[in-house]
Amino acid sequence: MLLNIVHGTESGGFIVVEDTVKYSGREILKCFINAALKRGEDVHVLGFETSEAELRAGLDSSCVQKIHFHKGHPDPLGWTCKSSVTVHQFTTRDITQLVQNVPHTKASVLIVDSLSFVLRHHQPVVICQRLQELKKVGVVKTIVGLLHSDLHLQGVVKSVCHLANAVISVAPANNEHCGMAKTTRRTKSGKLMQEEEYFDVSEDAALSVQTRTHQPGHVQIEPDKPKADPTSNLTFNLRLSKKEKEAKEKVALPFVFSQEKKSALLRPTPGSGRITYEPDAYDDLDEEDPDDDLDV
Amino acid sequence: MFPELNSILSSSPDSFRSGDFIVLSDRQADASFLIHHYLSFYLRAGCKVCFLGLVQSFSHYSAVSQRLGVSLTQAREKGQLVFLEGLKDSIGVLSQEESSQSKLPLSYLRSPGAGLECLFKFVESSVSQNTENEDGEKWGPPVLLIDDLSVLLTLGVSAGAILDFTLYCQATICSELQGNIGILVRREEEDVEDEGSNLLQKGLIHQCSLALHVEGLPTGYCRDIHGQMEVWWRSREDAMYNQRKVFHYKVHDKGASFFARGTSSALL
Repeated sequence: MLLNIVHGTESGGFIVVEDTVKYSGREILKCFINAALKRGEDVHVLGFETSEAELRAGLDSSCVQKIHFHKGHPDPLGWTCKSSVTVHQFTTRDITQLVQNVPHTKASVLIVDSLSFVLRHHQPVVICQRLQELKKVGVVKTIVGLLHSDLHLQGVVKSVCHLANAVISVAPANNEHCGMAKTTRRTKSGKLMQEEEYFDVSEDAALSVQTRTHQPGHVQIEPDKPKADPTSNLTFNLRLSKKEKEAKEKVALPFVFSQEKKSALLRPTPGSGRITYEPDAYDDLDEEDPDDDLDV
Repeated sequence: MFPELNSILSSSPDSFRSGDFIVLSDRQADASFLIHHYLSFYLRAGCKVCFLGLVQSFSHYSAVSQRLGVSLTQAREKGQLVFLEGLKDSIGVLSQEESSQSKLPLSYLRSPGAGLECLFKFVESSVSQNTENEDGEKWGPPVLLIDDLSVLLTLGVSAGAILDFTLYCQATICSELQGNIGILVRREEEDVEDEGSNLLQKGLIHQCSLALHVEGLPTGYCRDIHGQMEVWWRSREDAMYNQRKVFHYKVHDKGASFFARGTSSALL
């Protein structure tokens, strides 16, 4: 499912790439850019958190004219007047204007790096409204936003993800070389589909998904090596012959009670000590057997 | 400068990676020995250093650096070190009239809600001025060191504003000027529930290329091992990307020694 979404086989909409400190989702964002360029679509990037150079690194240089980098970085708040776009211009009207200013042939893709920065400077409700409006206006076919889920309240994260057609949450996999993506997709009919996949992003922003059956807990990457026999190559004998094995099976374990053993233990043997007890006046003697409820 | 830490991080004053954003954090321990390490490291490397000392006086850092073999007074006179003495200057900001204060770097003391734009402007001008020493040679790439950033939270600046400030510093110093940044953030045990402190630390780790986290030993106090330090390599260009390793350390008079867990000289 991850490959279908990234390569745009599913029709656009709003896609959220959710990451945490443990694993960065920016590489997935680059895969989206790469895939859109290969489809010949125009890509508009609102970059607030990383530089243009960092996002361009590894992308196919032949399609470079199709990427329109609206420079928020290095001045996303307008402190030094070095940027063309500030975070305060994250409005439906301004974004529509930015996209329409560039002559384009095919439907465009809007990449937001990152939504976390935008949410820090605007009310979440307002941003949700604007994203919804952008979807309706239709000037961009697909909006992909990067969201750092550990930098916001859970309610905010869930509200933004609720608007999305697809949410890709990335986390580290047990094998350090790849990551794990949990993709949740909502179809137009409202049906929800989820899938967990292991993925790897190459240096040229190509996404590859490992088809591995999902196992809870530790995933084994290599097949089990045949276990070495620990009883070989020793100076003493640890093996049992057939007779010894049979004798071992027959041994009665000390605390496993069979019927005969129970009755043998409970029968008083001749010569064993007897206990006589004479209660005095203050004793509260209970005639019941205190061990009656034991299942022995 | 601690030679063992240099070898763990594969860097030295003669060859270190530029564009690095290093976050030093601690919890129930004191990571300020690391900021002294980086101060002497970058001064030895011949870089232009802008040091925001918000929690200690200049003489404190000077005394410690003397033991590590670097003279801060000389560096300041030569123009290699720009030192913002937060404690001393703050009295001036707080006691004077309102009108002239809006542009000063410590203006957040009067109006914490306004953000750290002025502080950023101060940093920007410090690293771009006087880029040559008296012999006419250029200083190395600019470096910004901050000790410590979490004190701004207690002064009323929001975590979001601090993250904006570090983003701007990173954009200017790391991306444009290919310099380095080292920031210390501290956390008290009582701050576990503190949203601002959590947010600040997580936000900085998202931005950083190397995170060093210092904590006390989970088993309690030990005379020979002062704590453990976790190194988290976060730069995509690093061969050790997204790997974390834990070391034990001991701080002594003229430095600190680092060793793998279980290999303290007291044990071996």
